[in-house]
Parts: sequence; structure tokens; C-alpha cells
Amino acid sequence: MAYFPFEKQTLIQSWRWIPSIGLDFAFRLDGLGLLFAYLILIIGLLVIVYARYYISSRDSMGRFYSYLLLFMGSMLGIVLSENLLQLTVFWELTSLSSFLLISYWQHTPQGRDGAKIALTVTGAGGLALLAGILLLGHIVGSYNLSDILVSGDAVRSHSLYTPVILLILLGVFTKSAQFPFHFWLPHAMAAPTPVSAYLHSATMVKAGIFLLSRLYPALSGTEEWIILVSSAGMITLLLGSFTALFKHDLKGLLAYSTISHLGLITLLFGFSTPLATVAAIFHIINHATFKASLFMVAGIIDHETGTRDMRRLGGLWTYMPHTATLAMIAASAMAGVPLLNGFLSKEMFFERTLIDETLLNFLSPIFATLAGAFAVAYSIRFIHSVFFNGKMKTLPKVPHEPPVFMKIPVDLLVVACFAVGTLPMITVAPLLAVAVTGSLQTSPPEYSLALWHGFTLPLMMSFMAFFGGIFIYYKRQKLFEWYEKNLSHIDARIPYNKTLHALYRIADFFASMLHKESLQTMLVWFLSVSFLAGIVGFAYGNSPMLGERNFLNVDLMTIIMTFILIIGAIATAAMHANRLVSLIIIGIVGLIVSLLFIKFSAPDLALTQLSVEVVTMILILLALYYLPQHTPKELPKTKMIKNILLALFGGAGVFILTLAVLSRDYDTISSYFLENALTGGGGTNVVNVILVDFRGFDTLGEITVLAIAGLGIFAMLQGLKLYAPSKDTHGSLWSTDIYPLILQTLARVLLPLMLMVGIYIFLRGHNLPGGGFIAGLIVSVALVVQYLANGIAWTRKRIPFSTHNLLAYGLLIATVTGLVSMVIGYPFLTSAFTHLDWPMVGEFEIASAIAFDLGVFLVVVGTTVMILVQLGKLSLNSHRSPKKNSKEDQNTWK
Amino acid sequence: MEIILALMIAVLTSAGIFLILQTRTYPVVLGLTLLSYGVNLFLFAMGRLHIDKAAILGDNENAYTDPLPQALVLTAIVIGFAMTAFVIALSLKAYSKLGNDHIDGMHTKKRRER
Amino acid sequence: MHSAILPILTPLLAGFMLLLIKNYGINNQRILSVASLILLFAVSLSALLQVLQHHYIVYAIGGWEAPYGIVLVLDRLSILMVIATSLLAFGALWYAIISDTDKKGAHFHVLFQLQLFGLNGAFLTGDLFNLFVFFEILLLASYSLLLHGKGNGRTKAGLHYVIINLAGSSLFLFAVGTLYGITGTLNIADLAHKISMLPNEDISVIAAAGLLLLVVFGLKAAAFPLYLWLPNAYSKTSAPVAALFAIMTKVGIYAIIRVHGTIFGDNAGGLANYYTPWLLYGGLMTLILATFGVMSSKELKTQIAYLVLVSVSTLLISLAMHSVDAMSGTIYYMIHSTLMAGGFFLLADVIVRSRGKIGGKLIKAPFFEKGVLIGTLFFVFAIAVASLPPLSGFFGKTMILFAAINHQQQGMIFAVILLSSLLVIITLAQTGSQLFYDTENSVEPLKANVTNNDLYPIVFLLAFAPLMVIFANPLTEFTQHTAEMMFDTHAYLDAVLNRSKGAH
Repeated sequence: MAYFPFEKQTLIQSWRWIPSIGLDFAFRLDGLGLLFAYLILIIGLLVIVYARYYISSRDSMGRFYSYLLLFMGSMLGIVLSENLLQLTVFWELTSLSSFLLISYWQHTPQGRDGAKIALTVTGAGGLALLAGILLLGHIVGSYNLSDILVSGDAVRSHSLYTPVILLILLGVFTKSAQFPFHFWLPHAMAAPTPVSAYLHSATMVKAGIFLLSRLYPALSGTEEWIILVSSAGMITLLLGSFTALFKHDLKGLLAYSTISHLGLITLLFGFSTPLATVAAIFHIINHATFKASLFMVAGIIDHETGTRDMRRLGGLWTYMPHTATLAMIAASAMAGVPLLNGFLSKEMFFERTLIDETLLNFLSPIFATLAGAFAVAYSIRFIHSVFFNGKMKTLPKVPHEPPVFMKIPVDLLVVACFAVGTLPMITVAPLLAVAVTGSLQTSPPEYSLALWHGFTLPLMMSFMAFFGGIFIYYKRQKLFEWYEKNLSHIDARIPYNKTLHALYRIADFFASMLHKESLQTMLVWFLSVSFLAGIVGFAYGNSPMLGERNFLNVDLMTIIMTFILIIGAIATAAMHANRLVSLIIIGIVGLIVSLLFIKFSAPDLALTQLSVEVVTMILILLALYYLPQHTPKELPKTKMIKNILLALFGGAGVFILTLAVLSRDYDTISSYFLENALTGGGGTNVVNVILVDFRGFDTLGEITVLAIAGLGIFAMLQGLKLYAPSKDTHGSLWSTDIYPLILQTLARVLLPLMLMVGIYIFLRGHNLPGGGFIAGLIVSVALVVQYLANGIAWTRKRIPFSTHNLLAYGLLIATVTGLVSMVIGYPFLTSAFTHLDWPMVGEFEIASAIAFDLGVFLVVVGTTVMILVQLGKLSLNSHRSPKKNSKEDQNTWK
Repeated sequence: MEIILALMIAVLTSAGIFLILQTRTYPVVLGLTLLSYGVNLFLFAMGRLHIDKAAILGDNENAYTDPLPQALVLTAIVIGFAMTAFVIALSLKAYSKLGNDHIDGMHTKKRRER
Repeated sequence: MHSAILPILTPLLAGFMLLLIKNYGINNQRILSVASLILLFAVSLSALLQVLQHHYIVYAIGGWEAPYGIVLVLDRLSILMVIATSLLAFGALWYAIISDTDKKGAHFHVLFQLQLFGLNGAFLTGDLFNLFVFFEILLLASYSLLLHGKGNGRTKAGLHYVIINLAGSSLFLFAVGTLYGITGTLNIADLAHKISMLPNEDISVIAAAGLLLLVVFGLKAAAFPLYLWLPNAYSKTSAPVAALFAIMTKVGIYAIIRVHGTIFGDNAGGLANYYTPWLLYGGLMTLILATFGVMSSKELKTQIAYLVLVSVSTLLISLAMHSVDAMSGTIYYMIHSTLMAGGFFLLADVIVRSRGKIGGKLIKAPFFEKGVLIGTLFFVFAIAVASLPPLSGFFGKTMILFAAINHQQQGMIFAVILLSSLLVIITLAQTGSQLFYDTENSVEPLKANVTNNDLYPIVFLLAFAPLMVIFANPLTEFTQHTAEMMFDTHAYLDAVLNRSKGAH
């Protein structure tokens, strides 16, 4: 034929996309894809024309068409994909774009809910499909259809076949509204009618069916397939055709009718025979044409009368005869009246049920006929209750024929129904043949599209369905009453909602249990997990807990220090309610720690610990000035015990960990530092050389931390004012003497002395304990004392630098020291040193590391002074206006 | 010697943990300070214990302590100092913003509810 | 030759230059800050080009070779993280400038640059203790940034965030100390080397230290049950900071890849990959609870914070699968989720601003100006974050699921990841419907001071979702090679420890 230049040939075009997971950007055009592409494009075009007149000018036309085209593109993507992973991409895209389309009238709750339900159900299916396809591709070793379609046997015999088919069918059934996932489709009817005509008749719901026919060669034929697919199809067919009769909404009726026809097609695929496939694909075409036209008719009626409720409609024949004629033909096709396309495929379907030996055997044709009868009944209802059934009742609008371009698409579709129904061999046979070939991947079986096969059993079934349908419709009032009483309250949405609510309740339960904004909860979890991690870690391997290294002997001095430290630590914990006392005790503990450092050969550490201790104590004292003086007891006893236990466990863990390491010997890289400190770093104090040279980068980071702390505190406390209490805890007034004279004098004398000490400590640092950090702290203390003694204004006038700049220059100097070496071609922070003969001091090594240390020094001074001044500044108002303060409560703030 | 050092570290850690589990900012600050003492001692001890072997070249012939952990502890002390200062300032800010020094700002909540 | 250190030095220098010009007005600071970011991006790109040629670039700071000195190791993964950070930072900074967030407190730009200094240092360092130092830098900078400006609950969230992380830092030191106490070294490659020859009687101690370290990184990455600090910290801070924080959890993930992946890799003898089961179960638990968190959120920013957690836990699961394919997916998904979470936080801020008094509460509110445009952006972000096609999240997640097929726990991994995806989709549909559909139409739309300018940085970050799909082919080839290299610890050790002459 002229319009299939590629008959017997599959066109594949592919580009690499994500090769590691077998995802190609690949398209495939074969008969099956072609058929669906035609459906999507032709009906899409008709819907586009139709919608132009349907969508009111108050709604955004642009938004509607962009959603619609997005959907059309995604749908084409599904049917033309060669790569299955790519197919899932488009699959999910149809779910998303249909969400947008269904919720197009977002101001109506039905639109919003319908969209959400559709997205939930089809989205869930999409995820299952993804999983199924991932597994399928894993079995085959490729995600390309060309490979998968020829690997049917391998797939069917694989141990993963059952999960694969379950997951893929979950995707198929949700998309094609098969029981028990059918309930989203009626809710999706909240969409504008062109959307329903397009998505819910011809295309999206057919995506699942498409996948059944697409994967037919790879998956079908097994017992699982037959049972799952045909039972879902059969139940859906019956349920849909039965329920459709009782829906008073035109679109509701059509929705359930669609469900039943989808069930019919699914059932045919479930039979798993080539001839059944022919019937299925044929019915896909036919259903798309008559159902799209019926939806459009429903839209016209809604558009022209303002309602879709069949109980309010009637007698429209006189007002819109053209539309009525179209509706009658299309509805007849739906009912399976001869000379229309629905009849042909329905006959084929009846024929298939007769030879069904798999599932229900003789029940199959009976059920099929029953469903056929209901189809006839609801088709009659559609026509009778709208166009006839007495005179027209009062309606929101006086109806008349719609604009021409709303009718033309329906005209064309109805003509197609008629043409296929009368001249199948000329009109549809070639397309059907290639489509079946595409689905089966072999040449199609012998079948006949003739109108007349003689008086066969299928024809008898058609007759029975026809007259049965008329009878059912005749008895409709009683049936309606019975349905209203017994079945109308059954809605699959109720269990759906219940499930969702239950899930959200579970989520809320866990969230309220765990996600408390409580620091203690976080810490308890953290500590427990750390403790467990330690224990579990120790369980790996079968090493002994302790090694065999010998311990040092204990001396009295250390025992005394230990004693004081332990008492101190426990006392701090026990007496923390009295804040000042506990601060003093913790100061003592810190002192012991620095003594321990001296004891165990770490003079640098001792000096640092000591100077840090001093500054920290000043800081905490300053803070304590504003904070309450006592900690209330508010922890319940059980919690207290829990905390104590946790603390003990933590301590025990640390104890074991410490001993586990200390009782073992180790080889360390440190010997390198001892050997190279003098020759490579130019200093004899190895610790300092490590700090400013070997691991100077750490130190650069460390002073950055300091700088950030300073800046962060500055930023945080900016503008914050705290009114400190004017009385102490015993009710006596704080001294209002702002800057005591003795302190002033003393501080001014001390300043040069401490600066000298600072410089001395700084200079000797590279060779003896000392260095920039310790020197910096000493100098800052000296400066802070000036602030304390003389006030900020006074001191600031006399100290010519801003702490910000000090900090910045410090960092700059430290970094530039490193940059210099980069400029002359060495790595960052490479040191150089030389020996200088200084008068008075004697021979002296000057290393570039000294410049680095200077940077450290400046940052320390800058930061420490900045922090302390910032904290001090908070109290600006506290002493100035004691009268005002004394009136206020102790804990007032601004 | 190692055992009593381990004991000290353990007690410092225990006391620290106990204090950070309290409900007010101040004890938590103290707890963090104690914890950092413990950690610093631990890190320091990882160079094993040496008496009178300070890593100043020339003092002893070929018998020096392991200088690396000392350098690490120095860095840790400085960082710990910066962090402590930050927490102290933050606890003041929290006191001002939340109206009390509870770590979860509990009381303000109750007051608002009334 | 300095390509490894330039991404670290650039923000550092910018940081204190900003400090020096603090009196020259906000505009100059902004120019300098943005210029520094552009420079950072440029030096990172040039570093990337070098990495593509040389695979590993080891930079011995001060000229002290590993394992004695501190070395920086530039490889595919580290530079990729640096580049992702600079892109995210660019979006965040842009928004901070446009929304004037940077004016709402002192030193925003300085802290921002120093935060980048800390992040880049953490990505590039090859030394465990140096990693600790950079962790402290990035944490302290993040503490300060978190508190920047005024906001409800910011102080309390900050207090919790600071204290829990300080506890974490202590644990870090315990772990590093133990590792040093047994192996006598701090360099990650050297640790791996020493641990591969570990005598039997030391295994337990190292195993304990390794798990303690995992707890530390798990705290940063916000793994169950250590994630409790995250939702409040992220939702209460200012939008640009929350956006930048999207990379913070990834630092934890990165550290696990770098440290645990190297020292407890396939050559670690009895301890080879012993940590992965813990990662897997932690990840699965986190994913479940994070999904519950998303579902039960009553506020938009909190919900996004939990979405960050969802992506992090997916990464943890993927990491635990320990295969080249999974690693490749991890890296791809990590970049995606970082940029998307950042953009989403910015968008949330625009929404919160637009809704006036109601802010981010998920309750009925009047519609607002530019609602359709903002709603469209929300829809696209939701797709990206929920890992739906056609945006990058879907492909990342598919890569991860693809890798999961070969894992023993495939069923559980599939079930948890897919069910979580579904619940996230449902919840986001609900949120979007609440924000943009179910509005009070009786009143006039709210007027907000949101301009199109506010949306540009958001679109900038969002643009990476389609870009990562369009260029998925070269990108996934890159991640695949990167993943292969991450498993080739021999090559890493050779390069860092200078064992063979061939390496650089």
C-alpha cells in the first residue's frame, strides 16, 4: 500500500544517552507504534479543533494547549520508544501532564481531587513499572525492545519472571484503569471534556493496553500472565458495564463504559492467543473512535445545556438533531450494532470467549454476553434519556446546535465508525495487519473481517446481548432503586482514602514521636549511637581488648593531681546548679589539665591550656553576669538516672578505648618531624615547627576558625542588649563604681610588662615553648584588662587599630607568607629560613614561619579582643542607670 | 600511670556528658568545656606517655616524646576555645531572644500559650 | 601546578579582603564576593581539565610529602564537589544580593566566602586531621550564617545545631586519635596502607574507631538517628543560607566515600567494607522516617528540609551498595539533589514572602501576584525533587535502582525507595494544590514585593535539572569513570604516597 512504505520493516533510530544503565535515546516505528501514533495524532488534532470552541474565553487557552501538547508529545513518546527505560520516562510524563489537564479547572475541588487521585494511582503504577522494567532489562541484558522482544523464552523461564510480570502489570492496570485501580478514571472526569475525550478514551488509558501488546511476545503465554491479565480484564469488563448503567452523569456513564471496554481488551490479551490479539487491537481502534466521539457529544450537551445530569436532560432531539444523529450512531457502535465498527470487534471478542479453555471455561461467554447486554442498556440510556424521554425540562441554558467546528470532529469520527463497520477490508484491514504484526512480532494469523459469517454462535450472543440490553433498560427504574439502596455507597475511593489517611497517621505518629525539637533527644540518640558504634566496632575481629605494652609507674604527684581532677570534675557536674562555684571548680580542673601536660612533656600545651583557660574563664564570667545565677532543678528523676547511666557508659567506653590504644605499641611518622625540624624547618621546638611548618595548613585553618568565631560572635551580638541584674543573688547591690581606680592604675602599669612578655614568648616560640598563639592570648588579656579597667571609649581612643583589621591583616600575613613561596615556584606555605646575628640577642634563626606565626599572633589578638569587647559591650547600659534597672525584674531584657 | 590517665579522661568525659544533658545553657557550656578537656587529654595520650622528654631538640639525646599529637591537641585547644566562645555568646543571645536560658526555650512557649 | 590549592585559597583571600573593605559599602562587597565566585569557578574548571589529564594531582603543602605533611588530593570526585559547590553558592549568593539578605546582619559575605573555604578544603584535603580542621571551619561558618539576620526560631535552631555538632567534633577527635594511636599516621592514603597490613590483634580497635568516624560523618550527613538537628536548622535560617546548606549534608556523604571508601576499601583485609551494612540500614531507616517527615510537615520550608533528608538517605543507601554503578549513580544524584534542594529553598522563600502573614504554613490562603509563574516553578521543582522524569532526579534514581538489582537486599531497597518516592509525589501534589490551587479566590490576590529578579537565581539552579539530562551522556561517562577510580584505591595510594613514578 502506498501509505506504508516501510511495511514489513521496523525503523529504529537511536543515540547514546546513559550507556552505563543501558538507556538510549531510541525510537522505533513499527506497525503497532504506527497505529497508536495515528490514533494519538488524528484524534489529537480533532480534539484540538474541538477544544478551541469548548474552552471558554475566561480560561487560559494557552495554558490548556501547552498542557495538551505536552501530553500528546509524551504519549507519542510512549508508543514510539525503542528503549524501555525511555518509555517509562514518557509514561510518567503522561501522568504528570494529565495531572495538569485534570486539574485545569483548579478552582473546583473535584478538579483538584481528581487530579491528585489520578496522579497517585498512575504514579504508583509508573514506579512499579519502572521497577519491573529494570528487572526485565536485567534479565535480557538490554533495555531495547529489539532485544527484549526476541528473548521471550529467556524471560519466561527466569526466576525473576513473577516479580517482573507483577510489577509491569501493576503499571499497566493502573494506567488502563483495571480493577481494582479503576476508580481514578471516573474522578478524572472533572477534567474539561476535550481532555476526557482525548485522554480517557483514545490515548492515556490505552497506554497500559499498548504496553500489553508491546510486551506480548516477551511476557505472554504463561499461567501467571493468563490468570492475572484475563481475570483483571473480566472483572473490569463486568464491573464497568454494570456500573455504567447507574451513573446519572453523562461523563460518568462514559467513564465506566470506558473501563469496561478496557477490561474487554485486557481480557483478550489475557487469552494469550494470536487471534485474541487481533481482536484486541481491532477493538482498540474501534473504541477510540466511538468513545472519543461520544465524549465530544457529552461535551456539546454540557456546553449547550449547562448540565450533564441525565435526570435533568431529555427531549433534546428537537433542538439539536444533528448532534443527536451523531450520538445515536456512535452509541450504536458502542453497543455493538451491526454495520458499525463496534459490532465487528465485539463479534471477534465473543468468538474468542467461546473457545476460552483457560480461565473460566464455559462461564466466559456467559459473562461476555452479560457485559454486552449491559453495554446495550447503557447505550440506550445515553441516547434515550438525553434526546428523547419526553419534553425538555428547564435547563440552565436554552440549547441549540453547537458551533460548526465542534461538530466536524464528531462528524469525522462517526463517519470512521461507519466506514470501518461497513467496509473493513478497505478501510482498516491494512493498518490492522501491520499493527498485529508489530505486536506479535510474527506474521499475523488467518482471520476474517467479513460482516457476515452465517448464523454463528457469536451472532447469537450478539442478539442475546441486544435484546437483553433492551430488557434491562426497560426495567431500569427498579434496577436504579435497587442499586441506590444496595450498591451506590460502595466506592473504591473509600478504602483508597482510608489507606492514605492511615499512612499519614503513621507518618504523624512517628514524626511526633521522633521529630521533637529537643536538644536532649538529639544528644541522647547521638550518644547512644556513638556508644553502640564503639561496642559493635570492638566486636569485629577477635583481637584482645588490651595489648601488651608496659605501663609507666605511678608517682604520688600524679595521684594527687588525679584525685583533685576527678573530684573537681564530679563536683562540677554535681554542683552545676550553683553556677559561680562550679565555674571556679572547673577552673581548677583546667589548671590540673595543664599541669598534666607539663608532667607528660608537653610544655607548649601547658602554656596554651593555661592561657586559654584564663580567657575562657573571663568569658564565662562575663556571660554569667547576665545569666541567672542558679540552675533550677527540673529534670525528673528517671531522666536524671538515664543521663547518669549514659554518662557512665560514655566514660566507660572512653576508658576502654584509651587503654586499648595505650596498651599497644605503634609506629609513627613523628620520627620524621624530629629528624627534620631543625634541618628542614629551622627550629628546635618540634611542636611549634609542626604547627607553623609541617602542618602549617592546619594552623591556617585553626586561625580561620578563630577569626570566624570572632566575626560570628560580632554579627550575632550586634545590636543585642542585655540588662544585667543590678543586685546579686543575696540582694545586695552590685558596685556601681564603673572603673575602680586601683584597677585602672594597675592595668596601665601592667600593659607594657605584659606586652613585653608576649613578644618574648612569641620570638622564642620556634625553638622553645611559646609561639604566636600563646603570645597572642597574653597580649589580648593585657588589652582586655585595659578595657575592663578604663572603659571601651577610653581604650579605643588609645589603641589605634580596629580588631576587624587586625584579624584581616593577621590572616593576610599568614596567607601571604604561603603565597610568596608559590610566587617563587614552591608549593603553598613552603618555608625558608636563615640565621641572623642580632645585637644583644645573639645568633637567631629567622624563618618565614615566623611571619606565619605573626599572622597567628595578630588573629588571636584581634579575635580575642573582639569577642571580649563584644560581650562587654552588652552591658553598656547596666551600670549607667541603676535606678531604672532596679525597678525592673532581674530578668528583663530588650 | 596509663590507667589513672584513662580514668581521668573517662571521668572528664562522663561529667561532660552528664552536663550537656542538662536543660539549661550554662551547664551545657560547662559540659562542653569538660568534654573538650577529656578529648584533648585523650588525643594527647595517643602519643603515649613520656616524662621529661619534651620535644625540644637538644634537650635530650634521641629520646623525645611524640610531638605530633601535641601539635594536634594545640590545634584542638584553639578550635575548642573558638567554639566555646561561640556557644557562650550564643547562649547569651538565646537568653535574650527566648527569654530564659532553657536549651529548648520551653518557658516562652508556655507563656505564649497562656 | 597550584591547581589543587587555588579553589581553597580563592575564597579565603576573598574572605579577608572583604573584611578589609567592610567600610566601603555593600556594593563593593557584593562585587568582590561575586567576582571571587566567578574566579573560583574558573580555577575549578581549569583544575578539572588537569584532572582529566592526570587523574590525580597531589599537592604537598609546604613541600612536605605525604604521609608527613598535609597533602591536597585533586581527583575527579573532589573537583566535581568543588564545582557543584561553586554553582550552588552562585545561586545562593545571587539570591542573597537580590533579596538584600546580605544586608540583614554583619559580615554576610565574609562568612559566606569562609564557608566556601571550609567546604573546598574538606573536599580537597587528603589528611584526616586536616579534614577535622576544615570541618570545624565550615561548621563555625555555618553556625554564623545560620544565625544571620532575624527569623523566628533561628536562635533556638542555631543553639541545637551548634551543640550537637560540637559533640560530633569531640567524637571526631576521639576517632582520629584512636586511628593515630594505632597506626601512627594521619594521611588517609597512609592510613589505608597501614590498615591493609594491620596485625590481627589491632583490628577491633580500628574497627571501633572506624564506626565512631562513621557516626561523625553520619551526623553531618544527617543519617538516622542523627538527623534530628536538620529540619529545624534548615527551615529556620534565611533562604540563601538554607540553599547553601544543601551541600553541607553532602560533605558528610563525601567524607564517607573518601575516608571510609579508601581506608576500609577492598584491600582492608578483615575490615574490608565492614561499615556498609550499617550505612544501608541507617539509610533505609532515614529514608522511611524522612518520608514520614515530609508527609507530616505543616510548613513548606520544613517539608523541603525533610526532602533534603530524603535525598541524603537515598545517597546513603546507594553508597552502601558498594558497586561502581551505584557509586556512579550516587555522584550523579548527589549533584542533582544539591542544586535542586538549593533552588527549592530559594523558591520556598519567594512563596513565603508572597503569602504575606500566612507565610509557609500549609493552609488555605489568598492567591498572590505572579502565582502562576511561581506555581509553574514549584511544579518543576517538585518533579525534580520527587525524582520524576524528565528531569535529572529520575535518571539519578534510576541509576541507583539499576545498581540495586545486583544487591542481596534488592527487594528491600526497591520497596523502600519506590514507596518513599510515591509518598513524596502524593505529598508534593497535595502541597502544590494547597499553595496554588486551593486558594481563597474571594479576595484580591496578595501583593508582594517579589519581582522577576528574585526568580532568576532560582531558574539558574533549576536549569541544571534539564541540563543534566541533556548532557547525561558525557556526564554519566564522567561519573562512571569517577566511580571506577574511587574503587581503585591502589591508584590513589600510589599517587598520594608517591609509590610509583608514574603518578604525577
